[in-house]
Amino acid sequence: MSKNFSRRDFLKLAGVGAATTAVLTGCGPASRYVKREPYMQMPEYNYNGQSTYYATTCRECAAGCGLVVRTSQGRAIKTEGNPNNPLNLGKTCARGQATLHGLYNPDRVTDSLKRDSRGSESMQVMDWESAIQVVADALKNNKPEEIAFLMGMAPDHLFDLASDFAKATGINAPVRFGALSMFESRATLSKAAKNLFGEASLPFFDVGGAQVVFSFGANFLETWLSPVSYMRGFAGLRDGQTKKRGSLVQFESRMSATGGKADEWIPLRPGSEALVALAIGRLVSELRDGPMPRAFSSVDPLEAASKSGIKLETLEHLAGMFANSSGALAIPGGAALGQSNGLAVAESVLALNAMSDNFGKPGGVYFSALAPNQTEYQGPASAKEMRELVQKMYDGKIKVLFVHGVNPLFELPTSLEFGGASKYVSQIISFATFPDETAREADFVFPDHHGLESWGYQRVATGSAKPVLSGAQPVVSPYYNTRATADVLITAAQLAGGKFAQALPFKDEVEFLQSKVTSLMSEADGSISAPDILTFMAYFQQHGGYWKLSDARGIPNAADVLNRSFSAQEAEFAGEGEFFFVPFVSPTLAEAGANKPWLQELPDPTTTVMWNTWVEMNPVTAHELGIENDDVVKIVSEAGELEAAVYVYPAIRPDTIAIPFGQGHTAFGRYAEKRGVNPVDLLGQHFNEAGDLAFAGMKVKVEKTGKKKPLSRLESLMGVYGIGLGEE
Amino acid sequence: MVTLADLKISEVKLSEEHVGKWGMVIDQDICTGCQACVAACAMENNIPFVGEEDSGYGRSMHWIRIERFWEGEYPEVKMTPNQPMLCQQCGSAPCEPVCPAFATVHSQAEKLNLQVYNRCIGTRYCANNCPYQVRSFNWRDYERPEPLPNQLNPDVTVRRRGIMEKCTFCIQRILNAQDKAKAEGREIMDGEFTTACAQACPANAITFGRMDDPESLVSQLAKRSHGVKHLEELGTLPNVTYFKGG
Repeated sequence: MSKNFSRRDFLKLAGVGAATTAVLTGCGPASRYVKREPYMQMPEYNYNGQSTYYATTCRECAAGCGLVVRTSQGRAIKTEGNPNNPLNLGKTCARGQATLHGLYNPDRVTDSLKRDSRGSESMQVMDWESAIQVVADALKNNKPEEIAFLMGMAPDHLFDLASDFAKATGINAPVRFGALSMFESRATLSKAAKNLFGEASLPFFDVGGAQVVFSFGANFLETWLSPVSYMRGFAGLRDGQTKKRGSLVQFESRMSATGGKADEWIPLRPGSEALVALAIGRLVSELRDGPMPRAFSSVDPLEAASKSGIKLETLEHLAGMFANSSGALAIPGGAALGQSNGLAVAESVLALNAMSDNFGKPGGVYFSALAPNQTEYQGPASAKEMRELVQKMYDGKIKVLFVHGVNPLFELPTSLEFGGASKYVSQIISFATFPDETAREADFVFPDHHGLESWGYQRVATGSAKPVLSGAQPVVSPYYNTRATADVLITAAQLAGGKFAQALPFKDEVEFLQSKVTSLMSEADGSISAPDILTFMAYFQQHGGYWKLSDARGIPNAADVLNRSFSAQEAEFAGEGEFFFVPFVSPTLAEAGANKPWLQELPDPTTTVMWNTWVEMNPVTAHELGIENDDVVKIVSEAGELEAAVYVYPAIRPDTIAIPFGQGHTAFGRYAEKRGVNPVDLLGQHFNEAGDLAFAGMKVKVEKTGKKKPLSRLESLMGVYGIGLGEE
Repeated sequence: MVTLADLKISEVKLSEEHVGKWGMVIDQDICTGCQACVAACAMENNIPFVGEEDSGYGRSMHWIRIERFWEGEYPEVKMTPNQPMLCQQCGSAPCEPVCPAFATVHSQAEKLNLQVYNRCIGTRYCANNCPYQVRSFNWRDYERPEPLPNQLNPDVTVRRRGIMEKCTFCIQRILNAQDKAKAEGREIMDGEFTTACAQACPANAITFGRMDDPESLVSQLAKRSHGVKHLEELGTLPNVTYFKGG
């Protein structure tokens, strides 16, 4: 349809038609008397055509929430949660709502592009045939071990395609990474599960069924693992109608949005989490007058109190809460794991659950259900594994790097030098939908469709009791001249011929998808079943995926947990400086939300700041340093430095400062660029025993700059520390 | 404490006349402050974003916002329960009588406060008179670069500079559901539809529905003893009930 043919034109034409009919027939008094109505009847009071709804999967993070998208006249209007999807049961987070601002973002990559030379801004538009030829040549003209895939946490179908392709052709197995998984310390969680229960699964914590939840740094109401599902769990915890209202205790040095909801917020000294968890275990055991388990026997509560800065009475009170509750649950996560002793923290907090004997019971610890077409838990690469990839790039062992769904130049710590290593890779091909930092370095950008224009599926890694494979389908036709990366790879493999063509014997992406879900067609206990694949795919699209009908969470084998001994060693901190440094993921922006204007305009849940980065600092510290709100300070770590404005934050330890991660883009479109700073610039190469980055294991210096940068905030400064009341 | 006997007959009548047809209950104890409702509202109702500078001047256009306050000082500091604040759809609304253009009127059919955009001349009296501070004013024609306008909801007016706006309880959804029910010759069923904020809320902290149906979930919830209405003492007869935390 021509773009210039507006609704108004259509109505005019329709009117002419109606009038002609009236004249010709010479009848219809109604047509002679035109009733003029003032514009009082707003669109709200009228029908504007019928909407069509499509079920698909959200791609804003890797959780795999099901969506139902309302479309009208081929445009996507509104996303809602898919009420049938067992993971999110009809709900969405703010990022899921704003995904349309990604789809219709004014700064998307519109065509396949070739860069004139590395580092140059100038790019030429290519046609897709030449683009696919570039990919085919890259496959053909290099040794398989010189080709690597770097992929994001979503979508899973493309990861499966690349994995199968790599296995069949001998190229490097695809590496998956995402800043969210880095800040979640996923590798630490599964490693701790392996050490304690003998299975490297992702634990699932049934917050909803618990009575008392002790969260050691887990920001499960923000971005941690599967926030929509955990928020539902939190509502269950608070439910005071069908059971007693449960309480939440949060141990962290800086009050997160999750900590803000806690009944008790315990600002312990960073690094002392393992010690505190074990001390609480010991006190619980003493309260119960039973034999002292080996796990807690060597820890001294008094020492824990002095090293953590928590009063002994507080520890005893907390132990009483834990011991006297019918359903106590302890969760390790977030910054507590991103320290040099992160693995010990995860293990000792998980072990605390043994005192509540809640493994595999409602309100306790489970293993997350594996998705329907999955045989074992596959974790993403830890930061240490990413360093290995970077090293291989440095050594010139990788000639061709395909990047999809991840932006390492923004998400990885700058000290890992992905940027430096990329200079030794002869060809970087990005499949980015948006012109992000990594795409800016790439030789070619062959844009994938936006998630709402794409086919695919996502395995639900955690958050649902039932195994779920969330299905994705295009809800609108592609807006730009983009192409599905799966199709590009399939076509390029055919062009490259030989083993490449044999590895991907598919007509297109949809045929590949069908091959991956065929086995589910007649499986028992499934949400849908069909005699043939086309019918099955139709159901799969209509329902937004496939899930099992019964609970498939695993039960951790915790028989031996209390007989083990755990390290109560405190964390070591890198760098000279008087402040502990806590980077945290912005609950609204996360790693790739900064280019969506409505996400930028959402106030941060704790500080209400919009559109920028801030440094959180305790009021007493700020006063001592002579720093006020909006004063720009320079933060110096061993790895780097940055400048940002101070937000005087009443709920942070005086020896700690915190900076949100999410801003500080140098590319990524008009709403993201040149806005705020990126705290990964401050992070050094320090890892915990599981290989996760010790992102919360740095000490930093704070210097005044004398500059001011007023932060936009929703809250009024009036009345904050007396400002505006003549008290300052 | 005012007892029923102390109230004058006319006041009792006033409150009876203004029992809302639609109402909302918000549970602050489970609201996590995640902003999903704010984003959902913006997407549903074509709310423009204003950018860093204007939002710094307090001109952001949120129809719903999450308020939180601090109590105490470190280390005994506490964040008060998140408080989603939106138009309370007052039965006796202070914004209504001050409008010289009758742009903010009370709907007899829906028992809601309406904002008639094409009558609004931008005096901003209504916003000044709103004790809840939930009205937002279009200080500019805020830019939506192409192709962002593709996302605009065709059921909702796109407002221009100089127009006051506020939460409508998603009136386009109400009318749609009403017409559908009428066509099928029935009453609207409880839970048949809900507002954008309630639909998105991951914690289910927002419940919306018919207050004139005593059996509806929202009516049942609103009757619970710990429900409070904000600034009730002003006699605004709000249609939103809050459960405080704790």
